[in-house]
Amino acid sequence: MSKGSSESYEGGFPPHIHSGITKDEMMVKTFLVMLIPAVVAVFAMGIQALYHIATAVLTSLSFHYLIFFLETARGTPTYRSPGSSLVAGLIVGLAMPIAGPIYATFVVAALSMVVFRWGQEKVFGEKRVNPAAAAKVLVLVGISLLFFLPEHLELGMIFHPHHFDWVNLLTAEGFQSSIAFYETETLSAAESLVFWKDHGWIGGGSGIAVLIAGLVAIPWVKIKWRIPTAVLLTVGALSVSMAVVTGGSVVDRIAFHVFTGSVIFMAFFMATEPQTSPLTEIGQYLFGVAVGLLTFLLQLVGVLGGSVIALVVLNLFTDRLDTLVWKKPFGHRGD
Amino acid sequence: MSGGDENFLTLKEKGGFEVDATMKRGVEGEEFEDVPDPEVSIVHLRQHVGRENEPIVEPGDEVSEGEKIGDSERAETAPVHSPVSGVVERIGEAYHAGLGERSEAVFVRRTDGGGEGETLPSFEVDELEETQPERLVEAVKEAGIVGLGGAGFPAHVKLSSEGISHLIINAKESDPNVACDVQLMHERPREIVDGIRAMARMLEVDDVTFTVRSPESRFSELKSSLDEEGITMTRIKPSYSVGQEKLLIEEVLGEECPCGDFPPDIGVVVHNVSTVYAVCRALFEGEPLISRGLTFISDGGEAKNLWVKVGTPLRDILRHLGVEPGKFRRVVFGSLFMGETASGPETPTIKTTNGIYGFGAEWEDPYADPQRCIRCGYCNEICPVDIYPILILEAQKEGDASRLRKLHAEDCIDCGLCSYVCPVRIKFTPFLRRAASEVREKMR
Repeated sequence: MSKGSSESYEGGFPPHIHSGITKDEMMVKTFLVMLIPAVVAVFAMGIQALYHIATAVLTSLSFHYLIFFLETARGTPTYRSPGSSLVAGLIVGLAMPIAGPIYATFVVAALSMVVFRWGQEKVFGEKRVNPAAAAKVLVLVGISLLFFLPEHLELGMIFHPHHFDWVNLLTAEGFQSSIAFYETETLSAAESLVFWKDHGWIGGGSGIAVLIAGLVAIPWVKIKWRIPTAVLLTVGALSVSMAVVTGGSVVDRIAFHVFTGSVIFMAFFMATEPQTSPLTEIGQYLFGVAVGLLTFLLQLVGVLGGSVIALVVLNLFTDRLDTLVWKKPFGHRGD
Repeated sequence: MSGGDENFLTLKEKGGFEVDATMKRGVEGEEFEDVPDPEVSIVHLRQHVGRENEPIVEPGDEVSEGEKIGDSERAETAPVHSPVSGVVERIGEAYHAGLGERSEAVFVRRTDGGGEGETLPSFEVDELEETQPERLVEAVKEAGIVGLGGAGFPAHVKLSSEGISHLIINAKESDPNVACDVQLMHERPREIVDGIRAMARMLEVDDVTFTVRSPESRFSELKSSLDEEGITMTRIKPSYSVGQEKLLIEEVLGEECPCGDFPPDIGVVVHNVSTVYAVCRALFEGEPLISRGLTFISDGGEAKNLWVKVGTPLRDILRHLGVEPGKFRRVVFGSLFMGETASGPETPTIKTTNGIYGFGAEWEDPYADPQRCIRCGYCNEICPVDIYPILILEAQKEGDASRLRKLHAEDCIDCGLCSYVCPVRIKFTPFLRRAASEVREKMR
């Protein structure tokens, strides 16, 4: 379309103005918000947490630019700006266990960028599963298989450090002895889970920091707030039910099931990834409830990375959830 | 203006989004300047929602200011009048900034000393109560008054509705680039109150609400006059979308006007404050709708409230402002959210032109380079009527008529907010318009 001249002006459909919101702005805001739990985790868990986070972010950025330059040389790049890669990297860093080897973080970040982000786009034309979650699940499964190699049992248990005897979670006594793992000299298990952990998932170094970051992200980034709400309420309700059924501390149950790092971090920052989560309101609620339910069930049987597995499974139903139920528009509510 | 006053220039929308209306800060409180009559007025025969008028003059005819030059016998139409005294130069097509296409217009060349002009029979304010409502409605029709908030619905049709219990005056001035309504409230408070009284008489309603966006204290003179008449001035939340008729009714009365119905079907009539003023001018001064206030703003810093004859080409307005026509890349007539573009400096104003905005030569269209949807859901979070713009767009592209119907594409109010917040700059408007029109067509 040509620029205006004294005799003609450029045409165009309305609107003629834009709010100025950009995808990059969304990404930068998300990154900044996620720095809250990241910084707290470094203080809680030590310098190793920083190494994991830095490895994940730098790996993601490196692969972003590698793909960018290779694609630019041949034509149009799939991703123009590094904003979403930055976020993806930080998510990977925060979704890794502090006890894991750095190379595992590198592998997850690389898989996330190349296979599950760029690869999905190329094969399906869109992202169908959360790249960081899918990469983590793949590595988790891979490492878990090391159980079967006696000389690698210790490494294989990285993802299952405290509940190898998983049946314990189904009884009050077993549960209490299981979460004793989180007790410190100064904090009870519940306090540790909520406020300050020195082991487990990096993103869950401080459950309360994740919660605060999530609450900041809702109005600032306008994340799909219905999803974490539904996930956390579902897991919370099931925790209370479980405590009532099995006996034992309700607070401990909630603290464990809701505030283990992978759950609360996943609920706010992975399950809300725009492309792989529903965009309709009711779809988001259903998605959140289903993720919460599956997460809880996987937790009960001892799969503590279960939240990301639940997320990847439910990602596959996103399109369907978007077509299930639509709210009634204005003018039809009395129908 | 103090910082606290800025609150009502940040319009709050659904989903926690905001619309920045601070562009009109520079023009709020600016008195109207009269734009001189143009050499040639271009009066479109269709300036209302509904069928086109027929010309009732011929080339060479002499016409007086205010003389009717186009009319129709169809019910939902509004006649058009010559804005100047002069000679009909020709009848032909000209670009119509409301329709976004060329349409038939009467070209009137102004002649000096063309006489006093023609007026309509007028009424006395004090005799309103004794005047038959039908006579008032007929006078409004003859004056060619249409909804001046932008919609252009013939005012007499609304004002002849029966069974009306509530009249709402929309003085919210929701568009970010329009400041002429508020200025009218500052400059013509008495006439506005008289216009409301006349409307209330026509509709035979006692319950009138005058809605504003900014604090009532800003309109002390008007508020006192309204208070004397027992009319409530109500401040409602600053919001762009709530300027829409049905949404305003819900905000004020808490009633949802069902899809397919019109506000009079639920006993409510809504009129814009500029329409109220036009009604006053017509009934009590005998002046048909041949001029109106509008706000001119450009990204180059020009900002004025202007009083302009209907049919004035943009070139004449720019000449008055001392602005070169070639300075602009795009010029929008009406709202920046819903208005169409001018094709060039010869594009004339129409009755519904409440604002003109000029984007300079350096301006870049924010929607020029859209990217693929990231499914953030912002578009449906902000949608004031709760439809799903992105799902409608996808169904429209796929040609899935059944899905479009289920998604209620026909309920789109064309507000433009979905595009406004889209982080990847998708312009939904053309798709939504096409989808809405397809569904409406199938529903007939």
